[in-house]
Amino acid sequence: MRPIGFSTGALAYSDFRKGLMILRRAKITVVELSALRQMELRPLADAINLLDFSPFKYVSVHAPSQLQEGTEAETVNLLITLAERGLPIVVHPDVISNFALWRKLGRLLFIENMDKRKKTGRTAIELAQAFESLPEASLCFDLGHARQVDPTMSEAVLILERFGDRLGQLHISDVNARSTHDPLTAAAILAFRRISHLIPDHIPVVLESPVSEDRVEIELASSRDALPAKSSKVNSNYLTGSASSG
Amino acid sequence: MILVTEQIDRICALDILRKKLGCEWPSIETSLKATEQTKERLAIILLGNERRLLSEDANFTAFGSLARGEWTTGSDLDWTYLIDGESNPEHLPIAQRITELLEEAGFCKPGPTETFGNMAFSHEIIHQIGGQNDTNRNMTQRILLLLESIPIANRSAYNRVIAGILYRYLQEDTSFITSYGKETKIPRFLLNDIVRFWRTMAVDFASKQRERAGDGWALRNLKLRMSRKLIFVSGLLTCFSCLHDSSATIRGLTFDKGEVIENLVNHLKRYVNSTPLEIVARSIDIYGASDATAEKLFTSYDAFLQKLNDPEVREHLKRLKSDGAAASPVFQGMRQISHVFQDALTELFFGSTKLFELVKHYGVF
Repeated sequence: MRPIGFSTGALAYSDFRKGLMILRRAKITVVELSALRQMELRPLADAINLLDFSPFKYVSVHAPSQLQEGTEAETVNLLITLAERGLPIVVHPDVISNFALWRKLGRLLFIENMDKRKKTGRTAIELAQAFESLPEASLCFDLGHARQVDPTMSEAVLILERFGDRLGQLHISDVNARSTHDPLTAAAILAFRRISHLIPDHIPVVLESPVSEDRVEIELASSRDALPAKSSKVNSNYLTGSASSG
Repeated sequence: MILVTEQIDRICALDILRKKLGCEWPSIETSLKATEQTKERLAIILLGNERRLLSEDANFTAFGSLARGEWTTGSDLDWTYLIDGESNPEHLPIAQRITELLEEAGFCKPGPTETFGNMAFSHEIIHQIGGQNDTNRNMTQRILLLLESIPIANRSAYNRVIAGILYRYLQEDTSFITSYGKETKIPRFLLNDIVRFWRTMAVDFASKQRERAGDGWALRNLKLRMSRKLIFVSGLLTCFSCLHDSSATIRGLTFDKGEVIENLVNHLKRYVNSTPLEIVARSIDIYGASDATAEKLFTSYDAFLQKLNDPEVREHLKRLKSDGAAASPVFQGMRQISHVFQDALTELFFGSTKLFELVKHYGVF
């Protein structure tokens, strides 16, 4: 069984405490603490020592996706305080201006592949440029973004072939035409299933699908359809429900 | 500098071959430089002065000589506004504005078939392969996207469409989804469509002669003998490369594990991103064609480009009809060039054991 959980931002917009509470109630042990908006980072860093993470086996932090000018060093310093607790820091490569600052995060810096709106970080070639400047960094592979950039998932295969040894975490969700996250659809599930065999079972999976608390279990079930464990002996045919040897 | 120079994976074999043979091929070089200048100019037209005519879902895609890296004085600009995204009523006025801007900038209009110079939609191109709905226009756009196309300034929609087309050809190709025949993995569905396109071009040559009362006959005839034949050849070699190219993208694929399609899409994308001349140069290396064959092939093509780059020659050929061809020294000289080119292709395809076997297996029946 793959370790699967949620981003707090997907469950409770801009409210990591509420997100954690929903996850605890659902007995989910994987969480990404969202600080996607810069104003969310300081409160999260201030609260980190007071939060009870005992139910969780995997915790990561999503760094802000946009930074106000002149705040990069200050932001990285805040993120370092979180990384010192052993928390991986997921960051969008287009946020980084001064690579030397971010290099301090070492392997706990998780570079995320980008959606089609961005000018960098979308493809294997573009990610290579980021990893060249951040040689120790890991990869947070966003399957929804990869599918939006190339619905055939061929670019996803290329990214996993080139950077699979850096893979530390997955993001999954559907990503719609406006580049926002949606709950998993049949089309997304079918696409992700095609490459699921390339992803080791132990890699934590973080759902970014915005769902209400009563839809958490349904979305988890969909994510298991999308990423059947490599170790599972039988894969059902997702669309028809028939069983086949896997 | 406004041109977006996104890094892409492509074949670079022509310079290596040029150095190996000690050849210059100045007209190939000149047309390549003119291509880069024209791409830059187009990017300024499309994006300059804060014009936001392109997006990640709607790309300007050029075909023909610009896409082949063979831009010459008087080249037509064949293009489409390629849309892969939400339906938007504003797409048509944008395509019309692009037409105006290109005319104002002095670019020659696309041909009268209306295959180019307007919108093209990814859904038709990807989903309608074969069958009643695969019109001549749809098939032409789809195959030309694979054989001679290039996005200007923004390539995200273009990349998705290319991957989608390639995926469709491989996904429904039984030789890739069954376990038998592991030794010969040629994308037959794709190959058959490329062959169909080549034959269609040849048939349409006769049809256009009738419809246009012979206008432009000589230029179309020579293009069929040279540049259109070149893209057919590069298409064949692209298909054959799935078996014989030992490049990193295809090495070590395990055909019996069901992981092959995405990898082959990536392999084929590399070829699609390359010009036909680069693909032929790469194939000369793969199949070990002789230096004499390589020199003959590229020198004749260089001579063809040199002639086309001469405005007087081009104008003469545009006006020349079939009944005057025998008496035209210009046409006869270029016809002779095309014979040398054909001889070189015959040597390439029938002189190499590997290629000869592939042509026997896949080229005719």
